[in-house]
Amino acid sequence: MTVCTKTTTLLQAENIGLQYDDKIILRDINFCIRDIHRPGMQQGQVVSLIGRSGIGKTQLFRILSGLQQPTNGNVFINGRQQVKAGDMGVIFQNYYLFEWRTIYQSLMMSAKQNQLLKGEEKQYIEKYAADFHLKEHLQKYPQQLSGGQRQRVSIIQQLLKGSKFLLLDEPFSGLDVCMLDKVSDLLLQVSTSDEQNTLIIVSHDISTAVAISDTVFILGNEEGQPGAIIKREIDLIERDLAWQRDIKSNPAFIKTVEEIKSCL
Amino acid sequence: MLIAIQVAITLLVWQTASNGLIPKPGNVAAAFTRLLATKQFWDNMLVSLGLTLKAMLYSIIITLVFAYLSVLPFFKSIAQFMVKCRYLTLTGLIFIFTLLTRNGSELKLSLLVFGIVPFFVTSFLSVITSINKQEYDLCKTLGYNNWQTLYEVIIVGKADQVFEILRQNFAISWLMITMVEGLSMSEGGIGTLLIKYNKYNDITVVVALQMVIFLTGLCFDWLLGSIRKWLFPYTKYK
Repeated sequence: MTVCTKTTTLLQAENIGLQYDDKIILRDINFCIRDIHRPGMQQGQVVSLIGRSGIGKTQLFRILSGLQQPTNGNVFINGRQQVKAGDMGVIFQNYYLFEWRTIYQSLMMSAKQNQLLKGEEKQYIEKYAADFHLKEHLQKYPQQLSGGQRQRVSIIQQLLKGSKFLLLDEPFSGLDVCMLDKVSDLLLQVSTSDEQNTLIIVSHDISTAVAISDTVFILGNEEGQPGAIIKREIDLIERDLAWQRDIKSNPAFIKTVEEIKSCL
Repeated sequence: MLIAIQVAITLLVWQTASNGLIPKPGNVAAAFTRLLATKQFWDNMLVSLGLTLKAMLYSIIITLVFAYLSVLPFFKSIAQFMVKCRYLTLTGLIFIFTLLTRNGSELKLSLLVFGIVPFFVTSFLSVITSINKQEYDLCKTLGYNNWQTLYEVIIVGKADQVFEILRQNFAISWLMITMVEGLSMSEGGIGTLLIKYNKYNDITVVVALQMVIFLTGLCFDWLLGSIRKWLFPYTKYK
């Protein structure tokens, strides 16, 4: 098993519930994400929230990002700080960007929100653009970019803002096989670029999400009970399935994916 | 090419179908040329253009103020009432406006503004209500406060659409100018000229004037469209 330790709690979801009139969408959602330390390297956290379509993943995504208030319960980050809109970096499913701003302008607006980058915004934009192969696209408008390029811009935008938490809604949706690998590599690159970086991936693409995660939370319904709950937590480090290239062909990985499917 | 053929067919049909009452295209073209050579025409044209542009400027300022403020409940109902004012006729309000204004120029301007603003507000409110929720969400995730969100999403983000509304509603303003100038003829204008030639039954000049109005409208449409593309280059990728 890979040597690592889990230390401080980075995010804690406590008794999250969501209800519209009489309809219960989410019920008693409890989970926590801890800081992972791997000796000799920067290792962020990658957590997947897996669930069937329509189970309430998007609502949980919006609650975690602070864009929606739960009916009850709280999400805490950095100790006991209640999450609010703006605390999390959010990458929407369709990688929404301001269509009236060039990529450079959009990134500059994000960087200006980050006090730590004061006076150095331009240098950081150029650094990220180079790292994410977007240097030649900085003066373009979002409509001129491909889906993959838009996704990268969305990620940089949130990183420049200073978000250590990145919430990604269905990042693998509608991608072909080649792009799936590229996006997976990109997310791993982000997760290992800073010790504190924490990626929360909300997806129904089990295999791809699990392949890059260290922890999986399965969102599902209990027999005869309304509202989705976290049915299981799977620690992929414990199973020695985390941080490995070409893990998808590993029999233990395939077994885990089957196990997750049976839980849905 | 197709347009040229269509224009040629239209002129041919016009030429063959016109009898003594409806002037032939050749006569209208001659009247059009004569009209362009007179100082009276240009004076009146400038009066109309000046008044229209002034009214458009005032109208867009009033519209923007009320449309931006419509996000607040108190102003929302006012903006919605302004939308309903489209159904009021200007003719029925001349007397009231005459009492409220000091001279013919003010009267025409206020009538025009009163006529244009409801159409502007209607168009702009529909732009605001159709804003993608993700635009607000993105602002929130970037940590913007309400004023920053309003500035980014509505003021900057919809500036191109304000221009488009201006372009589309120029037609309404241009349509109203002839009517308003007909209501108050003190300072002339293209509408006054139209009424004068109508009174003299000079149909050839009336049709020529209509052509001038039509072509001016087309020119402004093109001009505003070009300025929009220049000011907001991203619109060409939409």
